[in-house]
Amino acid sequence: MKRVVLVDDHDLFRAGVRSELGDAVEIVGEAASVADAVPLIRELDPDVVLLDVHLPDGGGQAVIAQVAPERPGVRFLALSVSDAAEDVIGVIRAGARGYVTKSISGPDLADAVRRTAEGDAVFSPRLAGFVLDAFRSGTPPVDPELDVLTAREREVLQLIARGYLYKEIAARLHLSVKTVESHVSAVLRKLQLSNRHELTRWAADRRLI
Amino acid sequence: MSSSSYRLPLALPRVVRDEREGAVAGVCAGIARSLDVDATVVRLGFSLLALASGAGIVAYVGAWSALPAAGRPAPSRRRRLLGLVLLVVAAALALRGLGLADSLVWPAAFVVGGIFLTRRGNRSAVLGLALVAIGVLVFVDQNAGEESQNALLEPSAVAVALLLVVGPWAWRVAVERDTERTARIRSQERAEMAARIHDSVLQTLALVQRESADPRRVAALARRQERELRGWLYPDPQAAAGGLAAAIDAAAAEAEELHGVPVELVRTGDAPLDERVEAVVRAAREAMANAARHSGTDEISVFVDVGADELAVFVRDRGHGFDADAAAAPGHGIEESIRGRMARAGGTAVIDSSPEGTEVELRLRRRP
Repeated sequence: MKRVVLVDDHDLFRAGVRSELGDAVEIVGEAASVADAVPLIRELDPDVVLLDVHLPDGGGQAVIAQVAPERPGVRFLALSVSDAAEDVIGVIRAGARGYVTKSISGPDLADAVRRTAEGDAVFSPRLAGFVLDAFRSGTPPVDPELDVLTAREREVLQLIARGYLYKEIAARLHLSVKTVESHVSAVLRKLQLSNRHELTRWAADRRLI
Repeated sequence: MSSSSYRLPLALPRVVRDEREGAVAGVCAGIARSLDVDATVVRLGFSLLALASGAGIVAYVGAWSALPAAGRPAPSRRRRLLGLVLLVVAAALALRGLGLADSLVWPAAFVVGGIFLTRRGNRSAVLGLALVAIGVLVFVDQNAGEESQNALLEPSAVAVALLLVVGPWAWRVAVERDTERTARIRSQERAEMAARIHDSVLQTLALVQRESADPRRVAALARRQERELRGWLYPDPQAAAGGLAAAIDAAAAEAEELHGVPVELVRTGDAPLDERVEAVVRAAREAMANAARHSGTDEISVFVDVGADELAVFVRDRGHGFDADAAAAPGHGIEESIRGRMARAGGTAVIDSSPEGTEVELRLRRRP
């Protein structure tokens, strides 16, 4: 069973997630702040950290920045009520493997945790929309390898935005689920490494770089 | 409001004469107590000052006159004024004793005394200004004739005197106005926030308590409140621009409220509203309403993609689907309000329905 640490500053919300996830995963620890979360994650070395984008003392990206270099095996999944694109893009660029909104259902969240633990990228429809916006052509790319989405990647993201699951996308595009997952992972990598103007501006506005 | 918080850095600790401890009038003992040193040190200081043309003696008399005695009412205005004048004279004497030229010391004494007076109120302010003017005139008069730069001396002396008189007052006014404005803005913001929360969140919470038996209704209430609060906290420039994005937001919100089915809306880009784009919005609203009413889905996904050449809207549900061709029979809602509308606008509508769900795909080429 996947070992999960839950980082969120709202007690009620943590209790809700715990009961919704039930026996699907093992929640080995909880923290309500960056200061508590960093030593806890180092000590427990979990498979997945469910991470609130907003924390009172620095936010989810501060946790990732302090933990990820020493614990490369720990994967982060961002969980937020925020709609603001720059917050979401910021935490993804810091190293999170995906983003889901807090309105997600229990079984869907358990599935997202499992996929994160297996190294997949977890894109909610909303995140797909943000990414399509961020990579919208306008300024010429500096590095075509990182700054431009391929036609196939764009197609996959559009289907995610339309509410399709990976296996439905695979059936529609006559691909295997594994191939769909690798396209999404490639997009995640571009998102994290690209220096595209829009991405850096979003992040810089929030002093994330 | 909080204007009293500002003080010129001229304020001194409150000194009272200590008549019981004192040798003469308790001036030295009083000063020593407020400075927390031994009275002998202060007495020695006054004695040394007395050597400078008697400055210490004049200062002592001035302080006697100006300082209140412990436990007795404050001295009269006239006594305090006399004391201040004597203190200024004593300072001037002391400076002379240190070897500064008369032509500098006496004008300076006039100016300093005058500035003190201007800070005391209307009538003494006039006197104070007169003293400052006299000081400046004496200074200019005394120093003219020497070979220094006469042309510069006079205006700069006047300017310095003016700055000394008006500067602190102007500073204080500016600070007061600033703090007042900040406080006013803050209280306005607070009032606005309180009103907003009262009208929205508190009303919703009251409704949630009343309707707690109906989970679907509670979820719809929570969702509406969330949407409203989010729009306020994270204003979206596109949603405010009044174009396609704003119109689709409104249509999705309406579908949610009318039918109680959550709409997960994702959009990229925006386009200005014209007749054709409005037709797309109406067709999308009809598609959302159909999905909510007939499909039995518990969520509707809407994706709006505005590209350079084409705009596309996808409305998808995971309901039980229907026979699209049968439903397209004349007289049925879909034929007229979705397909017909899109065709008239010069776009297309494709309806793909199966037992796993339905997706309505609306496309419109954008005019150059």
